[in-house]
This record gives sequence, structure tokens and C-alpha cells, in this order.
Amino acid sequence: MNRRTVIKNLALVIGGAVLLPSCLRKDGTSYVQLKHISLDGDQQNLIADIAEIIIPKTDVPGAKDLNLPAFVLKMLDDCYNKKDQLAFLAGLDKFNTLVKTKYNSTFSDLSVKDKEAVLIGIENSNKPKAGSKAPARRPKPQKNMAADPLNAFYWSIKQQTIFGYTTSQFFMTKEIFYDMVPGRYNVHFPVSKLKLKLA
Amino acid sequence: MANLNIDSVKARTFDAIVIGSGISGGWAAKELTGNGLKTLVLERGRDVKHVKDYPTTNKFPWEFEHHGQLPVSVTEPNPIVSRCYAFGEDSAHFFVKDNEHPYVQTKPFDWIRGYQVGGKSLLWARQTQRWSDFDFEGPARDGFAVDWPIRYKDIAPWYSYVEKFAGIAGNKDGIPELPDGEFLPGYPLNDVEVYFGDHLKKNYKNRHVISARCAHLSKPNDIHLQQGRTQCQNRDLCQRGCPFGGYFSSNASTIPWAEKSGNMTLRPFSVVESIIYDEKLGKATGVRIIDTNTKQSIEYYARIIFVNAAAINTNLVLLNSKSNRFPNGFGNDSGVLGKYVAFHNYSAHIGAEYDGLKEWTVDGRSPTGGYIPRFRNVYKQETNFLRGYACGFSGYRYQQHKYDGVGSSLKDGLVKGDLSPWYVGSHMMGETIPKESNHVSLDAKLKDDWGVPLLNISVDYDDNDEKMKKDYIEQLTEMFTSAGFKNIQPSTNHQAPGLDIHEMGGARMGKDPKTSILNEWNQVHACKNVFVTDGACMTSTSCQNPSLTYMALTARAANHAVEEMKKGNV
Repeated sequence: MNRRTVIKNLALVIGGAVLLPSCLRKDGTSYVQLKHISLDGDQQNLIADIAEIIIPKTDVPGAKDLNLPAFVLKMLDDCYNKKDQLAFLAGLDKFNTLVKTKYNSTFSDLSVKDKEAVLIGIENSNKPKAGSKAPARRPKPQKNMAADPLNAFYWSIKQQTIFGYTTSQFFMTKEIFYDMVPGRYNVHFPVSKLKLKLA
Repeated sequence: MANLNIDSVKARTFDAIVIGSGISGGWAAKELTGNGLKTLVLERGRDVKHVKDYPTTNKFPWEFEHHGQLPVSVTEPNPIVSRCYAFGEDSAHFFVKDNEHPYVQTKPFDWIRGYQVGGKSLLWARQTQRWSDFDFEGPARDGFAVDWPIRYKDIAPWYSYVEKFAGIAGNKDGIPELPDGEFLPGYPLNDVEVYFGDHLKKNYKNRHVISARCAHLSKPNDIHLQQGRTQCQNRDLCQRGCPFGGYFSSNASTIPWAEKSGNMTLRPFSVVESIIYDEKLGKATGVRIIDTNTKQSIEYYARIIFVNAAAINTNLVLLNSKSNRFPNGFGNDSGVLGKYVAFHNYSAHIGAEYDGLKEWTVDGRSPTGGYIPRFRNVYKQETNFLRGYACGFSGYRYQQHKYDGVGSSLKDGLVKGDLSPWYVGSHMMGETIPKESNHVSLDAKLKDDWGVPLLNISVDYDDNDEKMKKDYIEQLTEMFTSAGFKNIQPSTNHQAPGLDIHEMGGARMGKDPKTSILNEWNQVHACKNVFVTDGACMTSTSCQNPSLTYMALTARAANHAVEEMKKGNV
């Protein structure tokens, strides 16, 4: 690691510390200090583990690498009303019970495969309406929370993890190119010339 | 007043006072100072300097604490402003929070405000379509409100005047009901917008899709560079304030221009409590303000006064300016002050898909979209409702991502995705009919933090609006269907008046002092040295976005004021 990288990383750490007042936990990771929702260390760990299954580390960084659990917690803390927060907490209990009943274990102790199976199971039980819909000018992932607590819990984490990921510096500069200042409007543009990664 | 010191009075005396620094106040300031008048510009909010005071303007999404979302601690106590489309984590500092200046909703009314130098000119949608005689002659032809005291020929040179300075992008479309102006190159329509325009041309008389004229510097002229502004960079982040000055705002354009003249004194944190009327002289001599920081009451004096506080607040200032001569509010001999308030009906929308033109898309972003000028009841009355509506119309495609599942397949789905088919969307912009019953008035008991009575706002839709809304849905559905659009989804909402942010009237212009407040030069009939040139002056609303007309009326009135001063008439 050269000197420049060290300084840059140090700046990131300091910057992060300034931006997100955090509490250091046993395992050395640190998340946001919460003001409006009560989540203990285990519960925060659980949310972080779920986020990491949703956006795992692959050949590119995953949720934990990108500090997304802290972002998800911040959004849960600040951007959900009391009613939705209570539904989320009720869903968290249901989630733990579901895992315990099925695997006689905590979620964090499950294999990656089992963790994925738990999440996909919930997801398949209640998919949001299918069909493509144009992305909103200001997407609001915290709107229209599912009524059922288990789904409210799962989809909140999933949507905020995706929102945090797709608006992260890593994603917007490395995975896609967010063109803040396009300076152009080519109105009759061949699709073949678009630099899109097709499905 | 306590302060009788002659030097102090002198220091508080100007040639002109402008109340408000938004889109019309900025123009009044520019024109009056440009004519050599020492001008005091009063602004109730804080100063916002171009670029320097746009704290979010260059932020990336990840640099916002909530990546652009607003926390519940902001949205829950502020349900009104939270309904505004432009209110977000990047722009919240330019909006008035509900509890910062309460009002009484006798009927639901979403009053969206920007209390700062520049006002809402920082936040507007920047659409600038001219009116024509089909609009100015509307009330007389259709028998509502009162006749406008002006016609298109009176304002046309002033449209040109303000367009050249503000910088308006548009095409010469040659449509009589939406006159052409002094345009910078227009932003082109995309393929599906062109397709729909061709379809309308072939199948309908008098229905056009044009590039919506907008206050963006598509190609700046020297006059814009002199303002320190440069070409619009198609960022589409306008509500943050534009570091390029790519769109017109008071902050980027008229206020610094007035400042440069050396004739402007700008006083932020100054709530105008009332206009001072001198019974002996038979004219207004100044205004009484409250300094919002010290709560001190201070008087300022001038030969002429321009009231540009934004439509509803201008009504408040006039209603609260009571004297023996005007016991019911300033210039209110007719009793119509605060009445005949109207707005634009934005409560319908329609979307659809188009299966063609698959090989084409757009690259980059446009600051505007398509526009369908009013086609109903233009040349003659032809429906069961009065007047009509313009339509926004835009087509777009986007990359379709997959959000299913978890893990690496999800990560893949977030990056990759095929392009969607074309989607099209339109929203209604309907004219509403001013009525006596749609009014604002001073509350008898409640006062704001500065001792000014709160306003009661009682404005509502009517049967004409409902019929027009139904017609919009029917006509657009038919036009979309015949154009081959699929999956057509009309939707209506019940948004309260006000959320259109096109509230107008209350101090309307008219020929007859018995039925109007202002004459053909925006002068108060009964007190010629007071001019009202913001939305409050509007006799009817037509359906074009109104700001350009406010600018033109203001420049016209200000130059008339200067002439009248020279002649010794005011």
C-alpha cells in the first residue's frame, strides 16, 4: 500500500467517523448510533448479516465493505415513522422465531446457503407486484411498507440495502457511470450506440 | 413613529421600494435601478447569493446523509411542503416549513413558499409560454371575471424584452394561440414525442406537440455571459440552484444585475407589515417592516412602491394596509381585494407504452419536455365547460433492472438490464375560473410571529374543473389510443389547490375601479404610486405557466412608472 492510498484510506475512515456518529461494538465493526429505533448489538448484527447476503462480497465489494449496514440502520432510524418502525421490530422477532423453529439456530450461525434460503423463502411468499415500472425521479424505498411484519422487516432491509448500494460512490463510479453533468442531449440516438450492460 | 431624526429618515428614503425579490420582484429591481432609481428591495427571508449559497449543488447522491431522502423529522411536521415534488434532501433549505409561517385553511390549500432572496425563482419548473389574445380576451368572450385591460399587443414587446435577457429556449412553432418569442435554440423533441406530434397533425386540427419553451440557456448570448451565466449543462438538478446559471433565477440574473448598477439596497429579514398611506398627499409614502431578527418595526419611504411579495402574500400585505382612506385594505374601494383567486388544475395524468421506434433512444438529459398548447374552446366554445387545458407530454426509456432474489444474481441485475420500450406521460394544466367565493382574508384573531394577521385561505375546485378534468382524460385517452399507444393508464388525484404553485389573483387588473384593484399599468386604481405586478394582479389564469407573464408585466409597469415619475404624475 503506497503512501497516497494510506492517506486516502485514513481520510475515508475519518470522514466516515465524522459523517456517521457510531458506536464501536465487540467485533470491531461500528454502526450508527440510533435515536428513534431501539436495536441492540445482536439485532444490528442480524441486519448487517442480512444485508451482506443481499449484497455479498463477490469480485466487487459487498454490503459490509461499503458500510451499507450503517446506512440501512440510519434510514430505519430517520426515515421510517413510528408505526413502520414498530412493524419492523415485530417482523424482526418473527424472523428470529422463524429461523429458530426451522433450523434451531440463529440466522448468523447458518451457512450462506441456508441464509439465502431463508430470505428467498420470505421473498417468494410475498412478491411486490410484478411488472416493470419506470424509476421515480425521487425513489422512496421506505414508502408503501408491507403490512405483514415479517415482510415489512425483510423488504425494508432489502430495499434500503439496494438503495444504499446503487447510490453508493462505489456503484455510481465503478459499476455504472453516473453522469452528473452530461452537458448534452442527443435526441435521436441509436440504441446500438448506448453503453449499456445488457441483461 | 418614534424615530424623528431627520438624518435617519433620509437614510430610510429611496426613490423606489420593491417588496419581494422573487421572479417579479427581481425584475422590478432590475428595471428601476437600471433607470437610475435608488431602490430598496425588501425580502422577508435570508439572502441567497448565486452559487455561494447553493450548498448542495455539486453533491453526489452518496454525499447526502440519506442519499436524497428526507427524514421523518422533516416530513411529519411538514405535510404541506412535503407534498411538493421538488422538496427533497437536496432542496429543503429553500422551502418554507409549514410551522414557520402558518395560515388557516378554511378549505385545503397547499401553500408552497420560498422565503429567501430569489424566492421561488430558485425552485420553479422554468416553463415559459407566452399568452395570446385567446387568453387575454377569454373573460370578455366567455363572460367570467372582468375584461383584461390589456391585450397581447400591449405586452408582446415586453415579452420580447424579458425573453432576451432571461434566455428562453424554444422553437418558432407558428401557432397563433401560443405566440413565438425571442428564442435561443429549442431543445429538440425525442422520437416518440415527434411521432405523437405527427400523429396529431395528421388527425386533428389545431393540436400540436411542441418543445416546451423554457428559461434555459441552450446557447447563451452575450447578454447572458455578461450576467455571469453560461450554457445549461443538462444536469436536471435545478432545484439546488445552478452553479452555471443555466436557468433563469433572480439570484443568477436580475438581482446581481441590479446590484451592479450601484442603485440597489437589498434588505433581507424584512417582513412588510403594511404600506403607509398619507391622507393629505393622497398617496403611499412608504412601507412599515418588521426586522425578523430584532422584531423592530422600521419605516422606509419612497416615491413609488412595487408589491411583488408573491400572489398570496401580496394579498396579505394589501389587506393588512388599512387606513382611514382604505379601511378594508389598500386600494380596496371595490371590495374585490382578496377575491377571485384562482390557480391551475394539475389533478390529472395519463401514461402509456409505445411499442415502436425500438432502435432509437436519447443520450444525455433535457431540461424540458413536450408541450401541447390548449386546443379546447380556443376559436369558439365547443364543450360543456369553459376554457381549456394545456398538456405536458414526454416520452422516455430506461434500463430495466432485475431486483429479484439475493446475492450475486441480484448484484448482476442491478448493473445489467435491457432498455425498456418507450413510455409516454402527460399531465393536465387546466385553466380555472376566478370566482368571488375563492378568496383569502385576514384572520380576526390569529397573528404570526411578527404581529401580522394570519391569512384564511378558502379556495376550491368547481364543477367546471371536474368537467374539464374528465375531458382531459377522454381526449388524451382517445389521442393515445389512435396513436397506437398501449397499456393506457389515466389517473386523477385530489391534490389541493396550491400544489400547482400557480396561485393567482386577489388584486386583479381591470378597466373599472368598481370591479378591480389595478389598472392597465398594474397601478392601484385609487393610489397610482403603488404597483402590483406579481401573480396577485392576474384577472384570469389561462393555462400557460404564468411566470413569464409576471416578468413581462413587471418590466412594462416599471418602465411606465419611471416615465410617470419623469412627468411628475406619481
